[in-house]
Amino acid sequence: MDRYSRQTRLAGIGLEGQRRIRASTALVVGCGALGTHAADALVRAGIGRLWLVDRDIVEWSNLQRQVLFTEADAERGLPKAVAAAERLAAANRDVAIEGHVADCTAAFLATLPALPDVVLDGTDNFPTRYLLNDWCARHQRPWIYAGAVGTEGAAMVVPVGGPCLRCLWPEPPNGADVGSCETAGILAPAIAAVSAFQVAEALKLLVGATPSRGVYTCDVWRGSYQLLALRAEPAADCPTCSGRAFPALDAPPASAVTLCGRDAVQVDPPDRRDLDLDALARRLGSATARLERTEHLLRFEADGVRFSVFASGRALLFGVQDPLRARALYDRWIGLS
Amino acid sequence: MIHLDHAATSFPKPPAVLAAVRRWFESVGVSADRGDGANCVLAARTVAATRERLGALCGVPPARIAFVSGATEGLNLVLRALLAPGDRVLTTAFEHSSVVRPLVALQRERGLQLEVLPPDAARDLPAAPFAAALQRWRPRVCVFAHASNVTGTALDAAVICAAARDVGCTTVLDASQTAGLLDLRVGADVVVASGHKALHGPPGIGFVAAQPRVPLPPQKQGGTGSSRALDEHPTEWPQAFEAGTPNTPAIFGLGAALEWLAEQTPARLLARGLGHVDALAAGLAGKPGVRLLLPPPERRVPVLSFVHDTLDPSELGALFAAASVQVRSGFHCAPWLHAHLGTAAAGTVRLSPGPELTPADLATALAAF
Repeated sequence: MDRYSRQTRLAGIGLEGQRRIRASTALVVGCGALGTHAADALVRAGIGRLWLVDRDIVEWSNLQRQVLFTEADAERGLPKAVAAAERLAAANRDVAIEGHVADCTAAFLATLPALPDVVLDGTDNFPTRYLLNDWCARHQRPWIYAGAVGTEGAAMVVPVGGPCLRCLWPEPPNGADVGSCETAGILAPAIAAVSAFQVAEALKLLVGATPSRGVYTCDVWRGSYQLLALRAEPAADCPTCSGRAFPALDAPPASAVTLCGRDAVQVDPPDRRDLDLDALARRLGSATARLERTEHLLRFEADGVRFSVFASGRALLFGVQDPLRARALYDRWIGLS
Repeated sequence: MIHLDHAATSFPKPPAVLAAVRRWFESVGVSADRGDGANCVLAARTVAATRERLGALCGVPPARIAFVSGATEGLNLVLRALLAPGDRVLTTAFEHSSVVRPLVALQRERGLQLEVLPPDAARDLPAAPFAAALQRWRPRVCVFAHASNVTGTALDAAVICAAARDVGCTTVLDASQTAGLLDLRVGADVVVASGHKALHGPPGIGFVAAQPRVPLPPQKQGGTGSSRALDEHPTEWPQAFEAGTPNTPAIFGLGAALEWLAEQTPARLLARGLGHVDALAAGLAGKPGVRLLLPPPERRVPVLSFVHDTLDPSELGALFAAASVQVRSGFHCAPWLHAHLGTAAAGTVRLSPGPELTPADLATALAAF
């Protein structure tokens, strides 16, 4: 156990805690900046099994903050889940690591061979977070929300029994209102700060320690770090905490269909929304090229792909053929699915 | 949802079609010629009546009507049964993938010689150049779409079939876009169509109508409900082409659809559909950037393709969808045609109205962009 000697010396962990960590499984959803930080820390901490899921490929713009990837990965356009699993296996051969190149949908979660002991949010979108929220509530598993944009971040443990994400926000925020790393930028230390909280809480959960209550927020540029108090009980009317409903588990995922004979994919959100194209255009602003708002639609170019977005939420992505990739780009740039 | 996609499949179906399908599931439940019970007799009676109606529609004896899963299966079986190694085959650039792909596969397998007639600049393929090609090329088989599923161009099938007969060429007519709209008694040796388009039957059923003079040996082998003790598939029609359990509920539905069609009359349905096309064309023509891909007015079916200067067909498809109008955008499974239409990059938007539409429906569609 030399490998973990510095960790087992900690009063909160000890040899028994290390044994528990070793006997645990963690699911890390999303293998971007947050996901790579979390996966790296958990693997080095000696977790028994780690499941990674991500549908996207490694790009040059990831290297600034996504710690598991190299220039070679970006050049090869490797799937993130594959590149990360390879790198992690080299860091700790004792961990059973599985990288899944997939969309994290209810159907995907149902294919997992067992329930993980903890779920770490490394996603970049709220629909998936609500899915994790509802799935974990149904299966009585804790998960840890985390998000970062600009120089700020936030994280929160959602313990078994709540309060859950729906207690705080009954509905996912509208994508057009939420800033993203693509449009607002992201400073790598903001990720590290949020990830530190998230992984520490994960380890606490695994060894049986009491997790922090409240929402951790930070602004690494301003140098402010705080834990905002949160009520201890679930909202009285929360359908998920009361076990009545798990809406995200029943919602169909966005559909993505390759257009016959075209280098293009059509993405449809699960239900029709009224997307404010003007607001989306303002938010995208200078982050995209050839932004064009016509009477009927919004066009722009990003990540080498031409987007045509409609008020119904449908988008056509020209220059891409893989539906998974198209859905990832949709979530990244349009922000709801 | 306003359905402007009748060239793909008709919707809604006449209530009698639903009732007939339901009747089979509720109170018949068995296949014709597969047992001794009263329900088998009932099934056999409806199947025979449907065969009779189709025979009358195509001008062949009922025994020369084979039920297949659709035009795709029918065309595959017919072309495989007809074509021998090295055969010369004349066809057109209008063809759907259900003709193009079997021909290309057979070309590879059997070394066919293919001649493909292109449309002219008016998106027409008149009978005269077709007949001239038959004379010049002397094909053994000529297979062609009665009407294009992209432009709505209808070919003068009677003249073409007569010209083919003069040179001893066997004709196969793909009537998928015309069955239920145009007269199919055009002198073709074989007529193939699906039941779920303008015939208004359910999906999963189509037919091959073959003149008795055309030998069409089985291409698939299996149970037929006849000659049960033999280990060889019968060559008699229609059993030759009907291996396996038939789709009896769909045959019931198609039978009811044909009855409905006889009351409506194809001519009336065609006139109504073309009236809708004219209204749509007039509305679209007033929009800047629209280029209509209409065929000559004399011979056509209710299909209207168009393109736009600045909006991609897929973008237009999305705008129609947002207005709750079902249309099709893209290549419409007609891989040879788009090079001739100048639409090889992105295809077209296709509107194909059915008889049920109202002026308000058309106005909604026209307001989509």
